[in-house]
Amino acid sequence: MQTFSIPKSLKENMIYTFCPGCDHGVAIRLIAELLDEFGLKENALTAASVGCSVFLYNFLDVDCVEAPHGRALACATGIKRAQPDKFVFTYQGDGDFASIGLAESTHAAARGEAITTICINNTLYGMTGGQLGPTTVLNQITTTSPHGRNREYHGFPLKMTEHIALCDGTAFAARVSLDSPAAIIKAKKAIKKAFEVQLKGLGFGFVEILSSCPTNWKMNPVESHKHIREELTKVYPLGTFKDLTEGL
Amino acid sequence: MEKVLLKGNYAIAKAAIKAGCSCYFGYPITPQTEIGEYLSEAMPALGRGYVCAESEVAAINMVMGAVATGVKAMTSSSSCAIGLMQETMSYAASDELPVVLISVMRAGPGLGYIYPAQGDYNQAVTGGGNGDYRTIVLSPSTVQDSIDLTYKAFYLAQKYRNPVILLSDGFLGQMMEPAVLHDYPYDEIDNSSWALTGAKDRGARQIRSLEVNQEKQNAHVYKLFEKYALIEKEEVSYEEENTLDADILLVAFGSMTRNIKAAARKLREKGLKVGTFRPVTLWPFPSKRLLELSETIKNILVVEMNMGQMTKDVKLAVNGNAKVYHFGRPTGKWVNVDEIVQATLNLGGVSYANI
Ligand SMILES: Cc1ncc(C[n+]2csc(CCOP(=O)(O)OP(=O)(O)O)c2C)c(N)n1
Repeated sequence: MQTFSIPKSLKENMIYTFCPGCDHGVAIRLIAELLDEFGLKENALTAASVGCSVFLYNFLDVDCVEAPHGRALACATGIKRAQPDKFVFTYQGDGDFASIGLAESTHAAARGEAITTICINNTLYGMTGGQLGPTTVLNQITTTSPHGRNREYHGFPLKMTEHIALCDGTAFAARVSLDSPAAIIKAKKAIKKAFEVQLKGLGFGFVEILSSCPTNWKMNPVESHKHIREELTKVYPLGTFKDLTEGL
Repeated sequence: MEKVLLKGNYAIAKAAIKAGCSCYFGYPITPQTEIGEYLSEAMPALGRGYVCAESEVAAINMVMGAVATGVKAMTSSSSCAIGLMQETMSYAASDELPVVLISVMRAGPGLGYIYPAQGDYNQAVTGGGNGDYRTIVLSPSTVQDSIDLTYKAFYLAQKYRNPVILLSDGFLGQMMEPAVLHDYPYDEIDNSSWALTGAKDRGARQIRSLEVNQEKQNAHVYKLFEKYALIEKEEVSYEEENTLDADILLVAFGSMTRNIKAAARKLREKGLKVGTFRPVTLWPFPSKRLLELSETIKNILVVEMNMGQMTKDVKLAVNGNAKVYHFGRPTGKWVNVDEIVQATLNLGGVSYANI
């Protein structure tokens, strides 16, 4: 019989600092479970990012250095080059990864750094109170697009997973969501692959997670997940966009 | 050991290797590109890390990641591109990370040009990043210094867990001079108490500057300043010549030191009692020694290839005890020995020209 237990890679007695209904908790739990399953906790190093994702280090019992906003993958590259035998990963918001840090993100992928990145796409800058970001979808209302994202005025959102999958150094790139138990199981499989490509030395592993932000979306948690399922996946289709492990 | 003819930038690169630098990350910019070019061959051959970074922003953050794991690492750059690194220098100061940054000055402001200049004194010494922090700044004046102070940069960075800037300039970077490439002279510092090595048999370590608790943030800055006070006490370094009987003191840093020394010799031949003074550490600044010297020397001429950036620190140091003048220009032409001689002869409107 399977009983519920807390992953060993999570700290004990931590205080939950995310908003109610936010998907960060589930995402971090999946990472912790996989660190346990691969036995990586003691060998893992992470470069924290700036945004709500920074609180990763309050939960994971893993050595970490906090990179400036957007620079997690440069910092992680430095870690990996200095310690090639370590398991190195980043956990970043969409703003961190795809706007201020797009150069660092793209080049880490292009170089094929053996690093795993989990990117939380909540379609806005969450920590600063919900402003328009690179992934904000058309018509979405944010505090800096009060009448909705307008294609003539604000331009189009950026598709991170498609972009990263185009890089030759990327070994695995997938977009997942956490809006149902079935989706969570799929998400875990994808993150697992993104771990494996690093462990096998195949290149950069990337998973984008469409994540709820009830506070800034001004929706309740149930509406938030419905919004992901019914609206966001139209712009950001779920699936695997690149997988070098296929046929291995 | 025998002397070899070495270009300043190569001297830094070779010294970094001998100092045990495990990783180099950089982006090209004249007049320092030889450092990255040299290391692109040497580092992989030694099995060490090298990345042609996508920008200076990325390069300095790669250094931060590498040194967080306990190894020695560095980047090198120049002027406008050093500007891009300042956010991370502030992080590294707060995180107490031994980042080593080689800054080979060119002309500014803005893109300026690749002419030599010393306009980045303020950028290095007062720090372009946010918040209360300090960076140790070492200033070479010869190719030999470039070797010795590269070693010292790695050592002090490790010893104090603090970012260190080696502030070279386009003259020193590009010129060749005989120098001895001796071995790294310092002891290795044990960093096992803080380096990120994986949370094995201990709780996880966090190297971070985010602090939501105001009191802790305050306490952290006070702790940093205790360290800075110690550095100011222990690490001030300078070089002075003929100051005992001097009436006039010529002060310079970096490559300009060479010219004040030559000018002082010429002025002594003319019968003027001229001494020279060169801060080796620009921070910590040798303020105490300058104040002592100002008890007897009442005229100080600071020669620098900028509009008087160090002159301001000399004025602060002597606290009104002596008259402090600036001579120099921002760039374009080397401030030559005869110009310095003439400027000294004309000091303060007093003409020594007949002596
Ligand atoms: C260089 C810099 N610019 C801006 C900020 C302010 N800031 C902190 S978090 C954040 C937004 C983060 O958004 P995202 O990466 O999407 O993560 P989220 O908070 O949504 O999880 C910003 C702009 C900063 N800390 N540093």
